[in-house]
Amino acid sequence: MRAWLPAVLLAALLCGLSVGMPVLEPLFQWVQPDKQRVIYERESFVFLLQNHLLLVVVSAAVGTIVAVAGGIFATRPFGRDFLPLVSQVASIGQTFPPVAVLALVVPVLGFGEAPILLALILYGLLPILRNTLAGLEGINPSVREAALGMGMSPVQVLIRVELPLAGRVILAGIRTSVTINIATAAIGSTIGARTLGDPVIAGLVNGNTAYVLQGAVLIGLLALMTDSLFEAIERTWDSAWFKATQHLRTEKPR
Amino acid sequence: MSITEPLSQTLPNRVIPVLGILALALVWLLDLGTIQPNRIVPGAGHGLLAAVGWTGAGLVAGVLAAAILVSILPLRQRYGLLLGLIGLSLAMMPLLLDVFATRHLPEDSPYARSSIGAGFWCLLFLLSLMLIEILGRLRASRWLQLLLLVMMGGSWVVLLQSDGLESLSLVREFNARSDKFQQALWTHLALALGAVTISAGLAFALALKMIRSPTWQRPLLGAVSFLQTIPSLAVFGLLIAPLSALSSAFPMLQSLGIRGIGWAPALLALIAYSLLPMVRNTFVAITDVPENLADAARGMGMNERQVFFQLKLPLALPVIIEGVRITTIQAIGLTAVAALIGAGGFGSFIFQGLGQAAMDLVLLGALPTIALALLADALLTMLAASLRPTPATA
Amino acid sequence: MIELKNVTRRFGDTVAVDSINLTIETGEVCVLVGSSGCGKSTTLRMINRLLPLSAGEILVDGEDIATMNPEQLRLNMGYVIQGTGLFPHWTVARNIAMVPRLLNWPKKRIDERVDELMTLLDLDPVTHAHKYPQQLSGGQAQRVGVARALAADPNILLMDEPFGALDAITRDNLQLEMLRIQKQVRKTTVFVTHDIDEALKLATRIAVMDQGRIVQHDTPENILRHPASDFVENLVGKQDRGLKLMSLRPVRDLMTLHVAPKQMAPGMEGIKEEDSVRLALSVMLWQDLHQVAVFNAQGQETGVITRERIIQEGV
Repeated sequence: MRAWLPAVLLAALLCGLSVGMPVLEPLFQWVQPDKQRVIYERESFVFLLQNHLLLVVVSAAVGTIVAVAGGIFATRPFGRDFLPLVSQVASIGQTFPPVAVLALVVPVLGFGEAPILLALILYGLLPILRNTLAGLEGINPSVREAALGMGMSPVQVLIRVELPLAGRVILAGIRTSVTINIATAAIGSTIGARTLGDPVIAGLVNGNTAYVLQGAVLIGLLALMTDSLFEAIERTWDSAWFKATQHLRTEKPR
Repeated sequence: MSITEPLSQTLPNRVIPVLGILALALVWLLDLGTIQPNRIVPGAGHGLLAAVGWTGAGLVAGVLAAAILVSILPLRQRYGLLLGLIGLSLAMMPLLLDVFATRHLPEDSPYARSSIGAGFWCLLFLLSLMLIEILGRLRASRWLQLLLLVMMGGSWVVLLQSDGLESLSLVREFNARSDKFQQALWTHLALALGAVTISAGLAFALALKMIRSPTWQRPLLGAVSFLQTIPSLAVFGLLIAPLSALSSAFPMLQSLGIRGIGWAPALLALIAYSLLPMVRNTFVAITDVPENLADAARGMGMNERQVFFQLKLPLALPVIIEGVRITTIQAIGLTAVAALIGAGGFGSFIFQGLGQAAMDLVLLGALPTIALALLADALLTMLAASLRPTPATA
Repeated sequence: MIELKNVTRRFGDTVAVDSINLTIETGEVCVLVGSSGCGKSTTLRMINRLLPLSAGEILVDGEDIATMNPEQLRLNMGYVIQGTGLFPHWTVARNIAMVPRLLNWPKKRIDERVDELMTLLDLDPVTHAHKYPQQLSGGQAQRVGVARALAADPNILLMDEPFGALDAITRDNLQLEMLRIQKQVRKTTVFVTHDIDEALKLATRIAVMDQGRIVQHDTPENILRHPASDFVENLVGKQDRGLKLMSLRPVRDLMTLHVAPKQMAPGMEGIKEEDSVRLALSVMLWQDLHQVAVFNAQGQETGVITRERIIQEGV
């Protein structure tokens, strides 16, 4: 249970701040004495937080489904031909800077939430795809051989053996993807998504450091909360599947 | 699996036909290009046939059909042929735009411009995928890949300078600010490479500290991964207040250009971001050198210094370079974001273009950023491969 | 009974298994032996359809396996491979229970069966059932592998170099264990190895394979006495054959029986009836004896074996 505590505390802090930002007005007045308005009011922080989260959650969910399905396809006998290309694309794609991907979407699809969502999905599925492939390919071949040889059907091998064994690596991929997408969604403010990046951009445009701070703190908190949430999920996963072998696992570099 | 290796060259390929059919469908369905009366007004789209006529459309379809055929017919030299076909088509792609512009651009309006359409991008993307597939099957060396890249890039540069493509809006945007473009390039490179260099030095020191005093491992790794978790926009934003406070307190800093916005917060943030991959890779690389090797070296009379410089460092170098590669790619991307706080670089074109809804200006920022990242990736991968102590198996 | 008829397997232009014919009788242990790349593993993997045949047919109890559902076929064949192939995310008990669970046995029956098998393989259920494979030694892991293969009481056992990755002492122990278990459960077994000594020790009949063909298929004794070709002769070790033959014969064959079994005198040393003649000779040479006492399983001295008899009749 203690593993979840940091995530819960950070979530509480995040919600509290986004509801009660006006309470801190004196503080921001001190930071930015020369401006009349020091609390960002064009949209409520709660709305921006919601929207930001929604973008990230939807893109992570769709990205995970597509990437895991793609990873499974490319490692089955009928899809093996595509494996080299898919893994190359997954690794070359990650070389593309997220900002550039976001910028490329606009000429093709225009401004707004839908293009951003598409960009987040496409870019976010690459680390998941890469980890899915690594997880499935990393399984000791003798395990698969034994499972088939003992009479499991290919579907049973996939569901009962391969996915549980690759799950931890796939989860790490989802974590990377979500971390990147929280940051990219914030930059999405510049192409018309309403996220916690809005106050930052507005502040930069108007020279209002207070706005910038408010946005930046909330984005930072959101990222930290999500990260500690994943930390907790990974720990729970480890203790559920490999109770006995926890001491054998070292911290996996992401 | 040595038995199946030689087969992969002769067996029919299923990937290229799939890509080829997809490309055929998309290139006929989507607009190849658009003609705009001026910079801001959205243009009228033209499909493949309308854009380049029967000859051009037939050529495109013919190349794709030929690629599909070559990949399924029983040929010995399948991938060599495909490499020639696809490589040549990729190098010649600007010609399509040239033909399109000469056919459709009104002669009398000097502000009219042609832009690249979704069909062209899709064709470019799918042909590149085919090239990746072919190079993979050929097990092409990095040098061959780089040579191809240079040849293709060269042919694009030459073709884009031709008269017909002067009307291409991307070229127009470039011509209108070629000075600024160069300046952006140097700013971008200076910021990204400067951050990588400084953080490499810092990370090396931190990694050595972690190896000498293991109690530092957890807090240091924790601190650098904490930095990495915070989104870039937030870090840039959070640095503004303290840096502007500093610069108003110390006028000397201000005269150096250190302010709340500009290159100073950008460089600081970039260094902070670069630390995690650098420190982690350096630390892992050096500690991963098997202890029995070090023991063997010590047993034969090397002192600790010699063990480090003659054994551990050379063995660790490829992994350290891998860290540099990740860091460089990341820094190139983040430098683009840093344009938001006035740091300059290609990001300024992107955000300027987004602000003015001038899509070709966005492209003028985004495409070079991607190109820089890909180039850094290619160069550093090659460097790491050439430093590997044992030659990689062919 | 397993019958292979003109079975061929090609990988591209290479012929891995070249039109072999082989009949494995019910209850016998057939060992396929040969150097790596001779086609022995390929042959085994065709029997449970992990690899399709290029030509020919394989019959199990008279039925062509090509007509059977591959999963059903495999559920009725135990399969043990080198490196165990145990599932790292399942406990020992869950690993052993794999096939019974696929067959939807009731839980109580599965638990009993797991206990029974672990005991049969000399693994204490209390200490080992809830461990994960990574926590076992190589020998223990392979015992679990064998237990898993036997779980649903299949008629046929396929073993692909099961003891290849183990150290010599553990391998020896597991071979003895296998002989003991085989006596109890009598499975039709196909066993693949590159180790001729292992083959001689375990086999009812040995099939020597070379370049995708079976060069000789016979009992261990006949393989040693009448090797069909130079290849087989080299494989069994030309000069070493005398001792190898001795290791096939139990002491029982050459001993001189007492009129009635005697109780063993305390502190007296001797060998068992089922030990090999080779061991008896070794003991005598080492201790400089001319004869040595032989005991039965109950610890009674039933007779003696002499050096002269071994030299005259041992081979």
